[in-house]
Amino acid sequence: MFLILILFLAGVSLRVPGYLDNNSVNILKNCSLNLVMGAGMLCVLLVGSIDISVAAVMELSAAIAGVLMRDGHIQSIGMMFVVGTLVGAVIGCVTGLLTSYGKVLPIIVTLGMMYVCRALIPMDFILGMNKIARVDLTDAFKDFILVRFLGIPVIAYITVAVVLLFGIFLKYTRIGRRFYAVGSNPEAARMRGVPVNGTKILAHILCGATAGMAGIMRLAEYNAIEKGACSGMEMFVIAACVLGGVSVMGGYGKMIGVVIGAILIATIDSAIPQLFINATMMSEFFKGILILAAILLNVFLRRWAEKRRKMRGNAR
Amino acid sequence: MKKGKIRDFAWELILLALLLILWIVFEWKDTVRDAVLVALGRKAKNVFSFSKMVSGMQVYMLYSFMALGMALILGMGDIDISVGASATLSAAVMGVLYRTLLSCGMNPGLAFAFAICACLVTGALCGLFNGYLITRFRELFPMIVTLGTMLFYRGLCYLVLGGNTLRFEDDATWAQLKALYNNKVLIGGLNVPTIIFWFLGFAVVFYVFLHKSTAGRRLFAIGENRVAARYSGIRVDRLELAMFVVCGFMAAVSSLFYVGSASATVRADAMTGYEMYAIAVAVLGGFSTGGGKGNILGVVLSVVLFGVLKKGLGTLFGFPDSVINLAVGIVLILSSLLPNLCEMLAAKIRMDRQKKSGKEGAEND
Repeated sequence: MFLILILFLAGVSLRVPGYLDNNSVNILKNCSLNLVMGAGMLCVLLVGSIDISVAAVMELSAAIAGVLMRDGHIQSIGMMFVVGTLVGAVIGCVTGLLTSYGKVLPIIVTLGMMYVCRALIPMDFILGMNKIARVDLTDAFKDFILVRFLGIPVIAYITVAVVLLFGIFLKYTRIGRRFYAVGSNPEAARMRGVPVNGTKILAHILCGATAGMAGIMRLAEYNAIEKGACSGMEMFVIAACVLGGVSVMGGYGKMIGVVIGAILIATIDSAIPQLFINATMMSEFFKGILILAAILLNVFLRRWAEKRRKMRGNAR
Repeated sequence: MKKGKIRDFAWELILLALLLILWIVFEWKDTVRDAVLVALGRKAKNVFSFSKMVSGMQVYMLYSFMALGMALILGMGDIDISVGASATLSAAVMGVLYRTLLSCGMNPGLAFAFAICACLVTGALCGLFNGYLITRFRELFPMIVTLGTMLFYRGLCYLVLGGNTLRFEDDATWAQLKALYNNKVLIGGLNVPTIIFWFLGFAVVFYVFLHKSTAGRRLFAIGENRVAARYSGIRVDRLELAMFVVCGFMAAVSSLFYVGSASATVRADAMTGYEMYAIAVAVLGGFSTGGGKGNILGVVLSVVLFGVLKKGLGTLFGFPDSVINLAVGIVLILSSLLPNLCEMLAAKIRMDRQKKSGKEGAEND
């Protein structure tokens, strides 16, 4: 997978000289949302579940935090992130409870949650918001996206921190290893004394929390949010995970894979407008084709590796 | 024997009961509102009635065709989230082909027929591609494959339409498709949109196929246990491929009606989110994404239920769209949560009873 990324990057750099110099920061910024959500999505996929409500959760948490900022309850940027993450975590908790104890299929629960979250946003008689616009936000928050440390936007540092945290959590902590156990064989995990339902709920909470965080990041980037603003994001997050070799059946996947997948998608996104002139239509077309091709190529590569392993086994 | 039969239709009965309750509530609200209006000296509006519901039904029927196709896919334990994109693609192909044929100097009627055929064929081809990828690449989940093809078809839409909006201004096509969508037949004093007959026709075909034919039984067998089905001699891949073709075809059918609906313009991002509506309707109709169960009757009922819910909440209570979506979301979650909870409760009661009788038995010994 890493090879594909490098090949792609090399191809693009040949066509557009100086592409990498100008764009590496941009790519990092573009894929930050996908990466943060991808980390949460990885947890959910690992326990054998799926969450297609992340985009709606993003919108909802950004909207709630935005309203609180408009009404003057929050001034600091840090509090915005805390509120957004908490809102996401609560929604994730509900989803987790429904899927684990309620035994409802995750795709149905999250589909329902998607409707519910999207519905809650424009309900001005409950939460007093319709959409969040530029005027609702404080200047400090609006400038937050421009803040750079050592030439790299702070958002990118946050992303890297989240990714590292999740990577270490999944790989080296006991609770993180439980995710793999539950995903690969829930019955066996239960026998070994792993709290299956609790692990599933935790995974959903983490996914919701990252989605809420991503919502705040998006709010900082665009300074506005409304219902349906992020629709389609969930598909790209799942696509990034799948490109990174995460199994949708659960139990298999690495953080580094998700990172590569997300960067690949961001690269495709930013490279195509530079390769072709009439941007929107061609870029949409190639985005679709490339993601599909990358998913299939991934399968081919894995099959090939399997075959070689078998042949080597036979030779012995 | 009879009891078993009733139990087979338990879900449909629940849906029917829900429909009745909603209906009574809305009817009551309507009469109250009219009474207030009359008391204020204004004319009674009578917004919610059977005839009005029927005559306004076409708005809620657009995704019902997709839901029928989706029911087949869900029955097999697969899922197809590319239907919205393939519907848009078929509509786009239809429009562009019609334009091209007209500019080549073809007779409009003939071009129209060609275009409609092309639309249906495109839908079927999209389904074929989905089915091929899914049966060929078993490692990938249907969800992932159709996610990829969804993005791919959307991209194709952008390519075909070139980023413009496709308009069927005052063409013959537009008039005919609009008629297809808007036509109403007067039956016993009721204005029945023809789209209802199309839908019921398709539903009957699907019902017979799914519940009365061998292929339908096989389909459920696949949903129940794919490996067992394969070992019992069902050609799983072939049937699955066929069902995806049917699903794509139904998406194309609903795109025909979509073009006919009032907006009558096709943009490359039209019909996004329709796949979610289709899945929601099918799931509420009793098909689970786990596969192996469901009934077309339930899908028909849930189409009506969605229509009544949207119309009632929207026009009668004056709720904005968002509340309706909230209701849809909650209904969707509850509709799959409640049966599970009932089952768990029943299992618990059974366990308790067994424990009790076991204890009594032990004491007697």
